[in-house]
Formats: sequence, structure tokens, C-alpha cells
Amino acid sequence: MSFAAATRAPGIGRFRVRLLLAMMVVVSALTSLGIYVAQHRAAKDAEADLQRDFDLELASLHRLQDLRNAAVADRSKSLAQNARIHAALEDNALDLLYPSAREELRDLMESSNAGRKDAGEALHARFYRFLDSHGAVLEPPTMDAGQLLPNEQAQLAQDGVPQFMQAGYLARRDATGRPAVDEMIAVPIRSTETNEVIAALVLGFKPVEAVPHGEGTGMRSGILANGQLQLPTTDSAAEKQIVAEVERDVAHPSERKRRLRTTIDGVPHLLFFKRLNQHSDYPPAYEVCVYPLTKLLARQQQLRWRVLEAGTLLMLGGFLVSEFLSRRLSRPVEELAVVSQKNLVQRQQIEAKLEMTAEELQRSTRFSADASHQLKSPITVLRAGLDSLLARDGFPPEVYEEISSLIHQTYRLTGVVEDLLLLSRMDAGKLRLNLRTVDLKHLVEEWIDDLQALPEAADLHLEKDVPPDLQIVGETRFTALVVQNLLDNARKYNRRDGTIRISAREEGNQVELRVANTGRGIPLAEQPYIFERFHRAGAGDDVPGHGLGLNLARELVRLHGGELRLIRSDENWTEFCARFRAAQPAAKTVGAAQ
Amino acid sequence: MIRALNSILLAAMAVTPATGRAQATLEGRVELPKTHFAPVATERYEIVSKAGVLATDPPRAVVYLEGDFPKPKTLATKTVGQKDFAFRPPLLAIEVGTKVEFPNYDDTYHNIFSYSPAKRFDLGRYPPNETPAPSVLFDKAGLVTLRCDIHEHMRGLILVLDTPYFAITDSDGRYRLTNLPAGHFTIKAWLNSKNTGERPVDLKSGGVQHVDFP
Repeated sequence: MSFAAATRAPGIGRFRVRLLLAMMVVVSALTSLGIYVAQHRAAKDAEADLQRDFDLELASLHRLQDLRNAAVADRSKSLAQNARIHAALEDNALDLLYPSAREELRDLMESSNAGRKDAGEALHARFYRFLDSHGAVLEPPTMDAGQLLPNEQAQLAQDGVPQFMQAGYLARRDATGRPAVDEMIAVPIRSTETNEVIAALVLGFKPVEAVPHGEGTGMRSGILANGQLQLPTTDSAAEKQIVAEVERDVAHPSERKRRLRTTIDGVPHLLFFKRLNQHSDYPPAYEVCVYPLTKLLARQQQLRWRVLEAGTLLMLGGFLVSEFLSRRLSRPVEELAVVSQKNLVQRQQIEAKLEMTAEELQRSTRFSADASHQLKSPITVLRAGLDSLLARDGFPPEVYEEISSLIHQTYRLTGVVEDLLLLSRMDAGKLRLNLRTVDLKHLVEEWIDDLQALPEAADLHLEKDVPPDLQIVGETRFTALVVQNLLDNARKYNRRDGTIRISAREEGNQVELRVANTGRGIPLAEQPYIFERFHRAGAGDDVPGHGLGLNLARELVRLHGGELRLIRSDENWTEFCARFRAAQPAAKTVGAAQ
Repeated sequence: MIRALNSILLAAMAVTPATGRAQATLEGRVELPKTHFAPVATERYEIVSKAGVLATDPPRAVVYLEGDFPKPKTLATKTVGQKDFAFRPPLLAIEVGTKVEFPNYDDTYHNIFSYSPAKRFDLGRYPPNETPAPSVLFDKAGLVTLRCDIHEHMRGLILVLDTPYFAITDSDGRYRLTNLPAGHFTIKAWLNSKNTGERPVDLKSGGVQHVDFP
């Protein structure tokens, strides 16, 4: 079917091809993204594993160091409590300092002979030296304190006596002349009396050997101190490169990479390092660790192929599915295209029509608004002219009658114009209601007062049933106009000696006003049209009016959220009903209404 | 015993040479450092070291007259005992050549030693009431810090002076030196291991002179 559609409309065929292409692009993009992410994740996981190995190794290293630090701290405390150490330091007897400490430190210095391979081995000190209260090394008089070359001993000194325990690393040459590193721990000796640091003891140890964790990974680790690194089985060129790498990373902490890489003998290596002596006044030293990436890279290569295979399969599957989907999806679109072609013409016609109507409506509204304005001022001029004529003397009496009649006509004209103006404003949607509470009884009373002034009042019977306190929501001017309109009609279309009945009551949240009058009713055929503009329901010319009143009244009532209806009109009875919104809660006025 | 008595007599004669002629008296007050203790006129004080300075607390001063005086042949033996893990007295002023005994009045061992340049010695451990009490002859002028190897907090001072004329002030810093020879000398006031004040004095026989520090 889709093929048939395609032959019918080449545009739709193109749509299908484009849909297929878009789907293929999405599928390939997703697949390559998946491949990339999977590979990246795998690489990251592998590196994280190595990092964990390094951290574990450091942790075991730290455990041993903590053990040793505790022993050293304990030793410094007992030295501080040794009266002879105090005497030597305080009484200017430095020659007696080392002999005084010898006894105290003997076990640390001698445990080497035991040659144990456990924690005790870590407690074997290679040398010890005292620093005076300025941080300078106090020369030992004997060899008991362990041998140090002058340049090695110089590395022990500090700018001031250390105020807390700190570690340093001493670069030296071992017996065979190879570079070696000794770990040294400086502990302050505090006066038991004043707690002031009076001296410091520096103990040198063989560095704690890191226990290799990732066995079989080819990992190598060593200590970098004073720009000297010794890593087992690496040549000096590789060592130099590692040192440079670490020093650059330390010097530019802002550009620090998550992991460092270096190449040793053409093999890429991952490089980790961590400062060993945090918060120390001795030069920083680092535990450096390198992992060859050969295995890791091989594993990644393998993984990459596997991911690529899976990705290709996935992509092929994706293409098949997208072909199927594009067929399915384009079918309703093809149907829609045919239908919409037809609809488009219809819609354009309707839109044109609507536009015309709206324009007409706007034009007519504007016209009546303009006309009303243009008409009002001539009428006023006319009336003023007639008034001045009436005031003049010398005309025959019938002329005065004629003038009075003309003046009366101008008032009618003004009424028509004002009604038109109001209607046009309503049509244009420009009438804003200033809503407030209006007393309905008061409105009716006002009209009755006006009625009393008219001569035909004497011939009419008024029946009034309007309870007091009947409040409606509305703008006084317009609600008065509605009431006046209805009552005027009831008066005008009445017969001699007829009756007008005005009744009002509250119904729920509405107020219902009924105005009824005796007299000839509205013919049944005309009843549907009485609310149309300029329609005068079977009224003779003897009845004044211009056929706008009922229309205006209904529009106004509706604008107030109410309704105006003809209830009944027959031989001798016509009754209108206007509903308004009640202003007060019904409960309060129910009693009064009944 | 008789020899000991003899030597005391001789020493007394040496301290007051040529009794009856050319005797001067020196008195005054040494302004002692203010302490945070209430000024209670207590005879008790101890040795403390602050920033490497040893001093008495509450402060006392040692006032001594420096000059070339004839050496006495024998001097009375002085005593610094150990009682309640403290030296009694904590500060002792002696003339060069004086022997000091260190009897142990506590119930435990003590090991009195000194690394001070003026006198290095180590009496070793000894039990309470050891007889004869270990003693040391101080043959060089200077300040000797006494310590106990067993009780690190114990401190004592012996000020070895090259003069027979010296006195330790009272807690208010007042001193009085009597039976002084007439002549031109230097009067010194030792306050602590780092501070010693001095004034030249011209002593006239039979007169009482007043010198305050500073």
C-alpha cells in the first residue's frame, strides 16, 4: 500500500526515505556512543583497580609507619623524662648528651642483630642525632649514634627545632655506593616543667618496604626524595623521566591530571605518587609507583573488538527495525497528506469568510458608534434652536404647539441615539460595568414617582409586590434603564383603565423581577422577534418608541449575568421576567421576600 | 670530731678576719621580679627553669661582695638534704672550697648528679640515711645545678662564690652584710642563672652603707 502511495505522490516517498535515513543516523550515533562509553568505562575501571592497588599498598605502609612512629614518640617521651638528657641540654653539657641517651636508645640501635623480618625489623634505627633548640645537629662524640657522612648529616638539620613529630627522607649511598634512602623521624623533646621544646631527636630507619599488592602486574615502587628516585630494575634515564613527571605535577597543582602516564623502555606505564611526609618541614618525599600498561592495553584491545562486534550487530538490527518502523510510520502520514490537501482548500475558504465577517462586524460597530456621535450634536443644536424659537413672541398659538411637538421629537431622537450608542459600545465589547449593590425596590419606586407626574397615571392600576432589601448586583445606571424600559413598555402598551403588576422575589442566588400589564398581547408569530433591533411588535404608530428598548434591555441584563424573557403574552396579559444576580446571601432576605 | 670542731672554729675566724678593726656593714634591697603569687612572707621557695633560665620561685637573690680576699684554710661543711623529693635548701650559696653533704631524708633512693661546668659529679644511687652522707667539694666558682637521676623534676642550685661575704635576701629582697673590710669593691646581686646585677662600693670602716638593686 505504501508503495502505491509513493507512486501517487513522490513527495511522500521522499519522506519515507528521509525517515529511514534519520533513523539510521540515530542508530549509528547511539551505537558508536555505546561503544565509546563501554570502552571508556572499561579503561577507567582498569585504572581504578590499579589505583586501588596503590592505595592498599600505601595503607599497609602507613600501618607499619604508625607503629614505628608510636614507638619513636614513646621513646622521645621517656627521653624527655630523663634527668640526664635535661642536664646535658640545660646545663651546657652537650658532650654528655649522647652518652646519656645511649642507654635509652640502646634497644632501638641493637635490634638489627636480631635480623627479624617482622614489625620489629621496622623498629631498627640506623642512626640517631639530637637537634639543639635552634634545629642544628649536635655532633655525636662517639660512633654509637650510627655513622653518617657530613653531607648526610646536614640533611637532618632544620631551620628551627621541630615542634611536632615529622618525617623526612635522607638520600645517601649504601655500602656498595648505590643510592639509598633512609627514613628519618624527628620528634621534639619537651621540658616536663614548661612543655617548651628544648631539643629534638632524629632517628633514622631503613624505609618501610611497600608490600606489593597487585602481584603479577609488574608493579614497581620506590621513594623519591631530594630529586633522587630509586626504583628496582629501572635505568637512570627512566628514573629521571619519572622524577621530572612527578616534579612537574607537583609544581603545577592547578593542571594536575587524574593519572600520570610515562613511557619506560617503550612501554607505556601508569604512574602514581603520593607525598609520604605530609606536614613536615623536611623536603617532600613521595612514594612512587609505576604499572606497565602492556596487559591492560591488550585487555582493552580485546574488549574493543568485542564491543565493535556487538556494536555492528546492534547497528544492523537497528537498521532493520528502522526500515520496518519507517514503513509503519509513513503510512498514516501518506493518508493524512491526501486528506489534508482537501481540508486545506476548505479551511482557506472558511477562514476568508470568517475574516470578512469579522471585518464587517467591526465596520458596522464602528459605524454606529461614529453615527451616534455625529448625530448627538446636531440634535442638541436643533433643540436649542427650537427652544429659542419657543421663547420668542409673536407666533400664532399653533406654531408654539408645533414647536413643542418638534422639541419632544428631538428628545425621542436623543433617546434613540443614546440607545444606539450604548448598543454599539456593547457590540464592540467596550462597555465596562462598574458593579455594585443596587436596591431593586428603590428603582421601582423611582419609576412610580415619575409615573405619577404623567397624565395617564390616573387611568392605571398599580399592583406592587416588591419586598424591601432586595439587592442585586449591577451598575445603577444600566439596571435602572432595564427596569425603566420594562415598566415604560407596560405603561405604553396598556389599555385604558388597565393594570400594571410589578412583583419581585429572591430565588436562590438570583432576583426575579416580573412586570406584567393588561392590554393587547403580542401576536404569537411575532413573539420570537421582539428582542431584535428596530422590531416593534405590532405596535401602532400611536405608541411612542423606536424598537431598540427590548433589545437594549436584554443585552444589558445579559451583560449583568442575568436573563430577560417574555413569559406570556395573550389576549389581555403580557408578562416579562428579568433575572438578576442577588447581591446578598439568600438566607438573609428569604423571610422578607415571602 | 675534735678536728671537725677545730675546723669550724678556724672557719669562723677566717670569715671574720681582724675582728675589731675596719668593719663595714652593707645593707639594702634587691628589687625582685614580681610573681603572680600573693606577697606572703614565706620562707619556702623552689627552683624553676623557664626558657632555659634557672631561678628561685618565689624569687630570692644572692648578694655578694667581690674582691681579692685572703683564702681561708678550712671552711665549714654545708648540707643540702633531700626531703619530700626536693632539695633543702633549694638554693645554697657557698665559698669556693666548701664541702657540701647531700643526706637523703626521704624513704626512697636518690641519685644526685650535676652536669654543670662548675662541677660535674654523680653520687650514684644511695638509700635513705646513708652514712656517711655523700659529699662533694666545690672547688670552682660558678652555678651548679643539682638534679636527681631518678626524679627528673628535682632541681637544686648551689652558687659557688669566690668570696666569704655573701647573703641570701629575704622574700622582700632585703639583705645585710656585716663585718666587711674597708676598701673599694664590687657588690653583686645574683637573680637567676642569666642575670646578675653589680654596683661599685667604697666601704669605710665602721660605717653602714646602703645599696639597692637596681
